[in-house]
Amino acid sequence: MRNTKFLIQAAIIAAVYAVLTIVLMPFSYGVMQVRVSEALTVLPFFTPAAIPGLFVGCLVSNMLGPYGLMDMVFGSGATLIAAVCSYCLRKRPLLVPLPPVVANGVIIGSMLYFAYEVPLPLYACMLWVAAGELIACYGLGYPLLRMLQKYKKIFELH
Amino acid sequence: MIRDITLGQYYPGNSWIHQLDARVKIIWTFVYIISLFLIQDFWGYLIILATLGLIVGVSKVPPSFMLRGLKPIFLIIVFTFTINMFMTKGTPLIEIGFLTITREGFRNALFMGTRLVLLIIGSSLLTLVTKPINLTDGIEKLLSPGQKIGIPAHELAMMMTIALRFIPTLLEETDKIMKAQMARGADFESGNIMKRAKSLIPLLVPLFISAFRIAQDLAMAMEARCYRGGSHRTRMNGIKLKKKDAVALAFTAIYLFAVILQGQGIYKMLL
Repeated sequence: MRNTKFLIQAAIIAAVYAVLTIVLMPFSYGVMQVRVSEALTVLPFFTPAAIPGLFVGCLVSNMLGPYGLMDMVFGSGATLIAAVCSYCLRKRPLLVPLPPVVANGVIIGSMLYFAYEVPLPLYACMLWVAAGELIACYGLGYPLLRMLQKYKKIFELH
Repeated sequence: MIRDITLGQYYPGNSWIHQLDARVKIIWTFVYIISLFLIQDFWGYLIILATLGLIVGVSKVPPSFMLRGLKPIFLIIVFTFTINMFMTKGTPLIEIGFLTITREGFRNALFMGTRLVLLIIGSSLLTLVTKPINLTDGIEKLLSPGQKIGIPAHELAMMMTIALRFIPTLLEETDKIMKAQMARGADFESGNIMKRAKSLIPLLVPLFISAFRIAQDLAMAMEARCYRGGSHRTRMNGIKLKKKDAVALAFTAIYLFAVILQGQGIYKMLL
């Protein structure tokens, strides 16, 4: 960890993620998860503190949510992988919201198929999850990225 | 509108299960989830149901709280049950028009449905009997051996603690911003899903600016107090494994052993 400011910024991103998940609860934990807080997965575009921030945010939200350990492990793992990939893609803003769609589709789709044994083909489970993510990440995340570009300064660690 | 929200799943109590170290409860939950997939027949579920019943009974968490976690995935349970019941080929049991329920289909549906229900109940039990802050301490302690290979256990726990601390503050802030934007004519509740998602942008941007202002103040306060984190820090209430935790761990080991034996069909051989 770089310094205290980095840590706090990550923690606050985590808190915002958790708050949005809780406020928009009916969307966030349902079968077709359109977790609006997933729009925040565009934040690695602005700051690397968003990588641990989103991971912790997802962990805390799942800690407060109804599914317990399963979601804490797989959901947060998917968010962490996606955040690292989004950070690597920060030079191409249009692609920044893509990693969470893919990571959640693959990991959570597999969780539904293998652990919850949903009697659908694996690819259908993945597409189902990815569709919900697509709405959150491109429907809201990308416009948010464009909008926050005007306020880039708030992310600077100085 | 935000005042009606229930924060978290924790069911306050002082039972033996509530008092256990969070690490023990995390380990038990992992073992429990794995055990569900080692079971091959309904006899195995008897061990799991007896264990779960015992834990729920000791924890004094009302069963209605346990079942609450099932509500969001009720559709998945019904879907799994129905598809397995009608799509499995085998000896016909009941015929309804062109649909046939086979003996094997009924068994499969019941087996899968039970597993799914037990999976969700067991998985959510952890958050029902453990305070989020204790869970954070437990995760930090469990991850701390990983610090040698670069896993920032302390920093992660610190972030979780700060995030938990700021959730109520930011919830209040979100409420204020929502009301302020609604007073200006913002509409968060009508339209299709895409429209509703987009309507949240006027909420998110001010929320960010406000949250980052809080972050700056907090970082400055922590730096002024020379916060350095990691090994330099001591704890007011350190967590230590007690006798009851050792008993719970021994119980977990016996439980796992019993499930493995069942999975291998040892009981059938004995009977």
